[in-house]
Amino acid sequence: MKNEAVPTVRQPVHGLRDKLRPGRFAGRVIIWAFLLAVVVFTLFPLLMTFTGSMMTNAELMSGGNLIPSKWQFANYAEAWQQSNFARYTWNSLFMSVTSTVGTLLVAAMAAYVVDRRSFPGKALFVGLQASMMFISMGAIVLRPQFDLMVLLGLNSSLWGVILILISGHASTFFILSGFYKSIPRELDEAAMMDGSGFIRTFFRIIIPLLAPGLGVSGLFAFRHAWNEYILPLVFTLTDPHLQTLTVGLANLRYGSSAAMQTNLMMAGACLSMLPMLLVYLLANKSFMQVTAGSIKG
Amino acid sequence: MSQWKRLQENSLLLLPSVILTLALGVYPLVWVLRYMFYDYPGYGQEVFVGLDNFARLFRDQAFWASVKNTFIFAGGKLVLTVPLSLLLAVILNGKLRGRNLLRAVFFMPTVISTAVISVVFYLIFNSYNGMVNQLLMKYHIIGQPFEWLGPKHAMLTVILVATWGAIGNYMLLFLAGLQSIPKDLYESASIDGAGPVSRFRYITLPMLGPVMQVIIMLAIIAALKGYESIMVMTEGGPIGKTEVMYLYLYKLLFPMATSGTPVEQQFGYGSAVGFVTALIVGGITLIYHYMSKKMNKVY
Amino acid sequence: MNFKKVLGLGLVAVLALSTAACGGGNADKTANNKPATGNEQQTQGAEQPGEKKVLTYWTDDRHDQEYIKELIENFNSTNQDHISVELTVLSENYNQSVDIAFASNKAPDILRLKSANTEMFMKKGYLAPLDSYLTDEMKSKFDGLLMDGVNRFDGKVYSLPNSGLTLRLVYNQDLFEKAGISGPPASLQDMVDAAKKITDYGKKEGIYGFALNFKNPKSAFERSVREILSLSGYQGLGFDLKTGQFDFGPYSQVIEYFKQMHEDGSILPGAETLDIDPLRAQFAAGKIGMYLSFSTEPGVYKDQFPTTINWAGALAPTLEGKQVGTSEIVSAGTWIGINDKSANKDAAWKFMEYMYADDVLTAYHEKGFGISIVPSIAEKAKNPDTPGMEGFLVGEHDSLWPVTPNITPEGANYGDAFFKYMLDGGDLQAVVSDLNARYNDALSKAVEKGDVKVSPDPSFDPSQLKAK
Repeated sequence: MKNEAVPTVRQPVHGLRDKLRPGRFAGRVIIWAFLLAVVVFTLFPLLMTFTGSMMTNAELMSGGNLIPSKWQFANYAEAWQQSNFARYTWNSLFMSVTSTVGTLLVAAMAAYVVDRRSFPGKALFVGLQASMMFISMGAIVLRPQFDLMVLLGLNSSLWGVILILISGHASTFFILSGFYKSIPRELDEAAMMDGSGFIRTFFRIIIPLLAPGLGVSGLFAFRHAWNEYILPLVFTLTDPHLQTLTVGLANLRYGSSAAMQTNLMMAGACLSMLPMLLVYLLANKSFMQVTAGSIKG
Repeated sequence: MSQWKRLQENSLLLLPSVILTLALGVYPLVWVLRYMFYDYPGYGQEVFVGLDNFARLFRDQAFWASVKNTFIFAGGKLVLTVPLSLLLAVILNGKLRGRNLLRAVFFMPTVISTAVISVVFYLIFNSYNGMVNQLLMKYHIIGQPFEWLGPKHAMLTVILVATWGAIGNYMLLFLAGLQSIPKDLYESASIDGAGPVSRFRYITLPMLGPVMQVIIMLAIIAALKGYESIMVMTEGGPIGKTEVMYLYLYKLLFPMATSGTPVEQQFGYGSAVGFVTALIVGGITLIYHYMSKKMNKVY
Repeated sequence: MNFKKVLGLGLVAVLALSTAACGGGNADKTANNKPATGNEQQTQGAEQPGEKKVLTYWTDDRHDQEYIKELIENFNSTNQDHISVELTVLSENYNQSVDIAFASNKAPDILRLKSANTEMFMKKGYLAPLDSYLTDEMKSKFDGLLMDGVNRFDGKVYSLPNSGLTLRLVYNQDLFEKAGISGPPASLQDMVDAAKKITDYGKKEGIYGFALNFKNPKSAFERSVREILSLSGYQGLGFDLKTGQFDFGPYSQVIEYFKQMHEDGSILPGAETLDIDPLRAQFAAGKIGMYLSFSTEPGVYKDQFPTTINWAGALAPTLEGKQVGTSEIVSAGTWIGINDKSANKDAAWKFMEYMYADDVLTAYHEKGFGISIVPSIAEKAKNPDTPGMEGFLVGEHDSLWPVTPNITPEGANYGDAFFKYMLDGGDLQAVVSDLNARYNDALSKAVEKGDVKVSPDPSFDPSQLKAK
């Protein structure tokens, strides 16, 4: 298979005759019916989140209503104020952007060496990364990770979370390894002939060519960090001002009453989706150009 | 170029990865391997107990029930997610009006807070006055309220919710894979008179093979590991019917607070559970890896 | 957009973010050099250099935070020792937060203590004994309220009581009347019958006799079976105080009645996965005849789930219809404690003294934040005016109970085990003996290890609890 990083320009080939063929028409109807069903399945819960965020808590919790009997726009103002939303958004952005860039950099450097050079222990290193991807002990590893961060003095800082997130770069490593195979070696060899060093070549020549791969894995790394709940929860328990959106949102439930303010939590959730969707739209373009090798390890 | 210079360059580029992996990946594993032989509530003295934790694990019916539930949950989620997301990807990879909008729509469930959307799903599925039952009863599809979250069907419901949250993700991965199939293959097939179904059968599937192998592997691991939405929706209930392995482990370490006596954290037993859980997931991944080698061969 | 541009933008953003974060980090570090610091310190510290003591106070109580803040402001502006207290209100995971704070030497000077976490905190060495601070006057004020395993361990006092929560049957008076039931049930059989009557009356309109938040069965039973048992003369968490062993026999008797209601179809459909808030919402909407819960309910119906139905709290029903014991007052006996590692223990005690003054405790009760269990306060204080609170006030049938040893058994807890029986049926006797075996096994292991002390009290008589 050809490995091409350049998107092919699509020609509008379908003509009028094509559209009018009966079989094709029936096919289209089926496809659109299917798409519509999935769209409804996908959007209905999101729609309910939105309308729920406009209800009083009593109305929301008693269920049974889709449209609020009276639209409570004040929920949004209250969620924003009660939860220090601007601060949480900032923390979330900081954590997600830093850990994404860190993950990409660490994985891209390692994958570069592994793909371009042979060195003693290479098989061991690749095996180690592979096992990191598959061995999953769940929440139990939080404890040793946390203890380690106490030693480093990073236990109540988002840097602790960021380091742990970056340490989970195995899957990014393999995705990028696939992409390196599609970058011709002649390119960096030529650059080195011209006197560019190995590392300089990496930053000057390779990284730009790697852009589509970085786009895909970056989107996934970003979303992973953005949605991460338990790590920032544990690391910010003693410093509420460091909380991320996920943690802050969950805490929005706890107001000054024994009952939970689920309506405010929903308002917060709707607000917190916006930045992530923006990132998606930005990444979408490059992401959709992704060609061969993207996800085969 | 001197050997020394090469070594320097290699180390410089590899070191961050090596250090982070050893410190935050390997060290915790070693920690778990040690503590699974201890009794340790998280404070005070740790007591060496030999294989006691494993003896307990083997007679712990709740754990083995959670293993069984994990298989049902993961199996159900995969059976729904993989074909649906592949189908969506194939459709949205074609020339379709509004496909960018549709992709964005299908992507949305992957970015909303699990805690929040699980509350919404509770309101949708609760048997007393949930949206789904209201609709089904209004159109006389069912006469009695359906117990979506009752002991019999709760597993089905959490599988549906997990599928909802996962389709967009795998659709994107499949789309990325589809982009790599050269367009001229389809064009020449069209000229030869191949319809959409046979194009899918004879071009898309074989060409997608290697990518699909990896995507399905990722999907298997994710399905075996997923527990957050279950935690919020049912807490593993009713009567343990939706308890999965990683939720069981989580509860050992973060016991749910109630008003009565406190429950201690169990790091020793938790380590044993974590270890065996990892073995199970690793074993399944390996089995899949061997069985799926065929897919790779086509390529 | 060109991807390179996006990446470039991203990098710029990261650089900007990381420099900002470094700045923040440094600020934190400088602040950390001084003990137990806070934001207000910079401004106020300048006026009283060297003398100012800033204390941190952590709580997971949210319902009273406005009042506590008011109290703290008043303390900060009036105390003569330049002590300034700062409040941090945490929520879920309070216990873990405290653990982490101690692990990282950022622990607060003053902690909110609850009966469910005091023992654990004490064992971990977080708490300072208060004996050397207690004045004779305070000792007499809290006389009879200092209890081993609650606020006193190994003869040392770690906290003092303020208020507690009573547990009651919460019932919809309108529905009782319409179904022709004269009053709240006295026995469990009455409760089963009432639930059935209400369901028969209202099922067409979606009205059911009974509900509990069975999503977490242990939590559901700890707000229902617990006071049914204690009022019937048995310890409410399955512990037999006479033998010093666990015996879930009495517990299982209550479960039989619950199972009967389930079989009658008198329980709200979907209660298996019901959380407490949806339950309250349905109760407020008049769809539930009765449930059992804490004295937090009146406040909830005042703020979060306003209702037009007539409802009240009443003593829980009992096994035989006779009140042999007393309804246990829970989450009582502790309120505030001091960090043993704090550099400002004396100052922390000054704040504690202020918080335990008569006027503060009285106002706390009168405002309805908790029901005072201190006799000298409870006698004089006016009753809170929260609607519905009348039924929850401490009366002759309420008292504290000796504490249950805290152990972690292998396998399913009693909540899950009994709930499984409620839904699936089976051999109740086998469930009980399995629970007894596992709980007593864990108990003897904990005693062996020295974690738990058990002293059986063969002469324990639940009817004597009333006298206090």
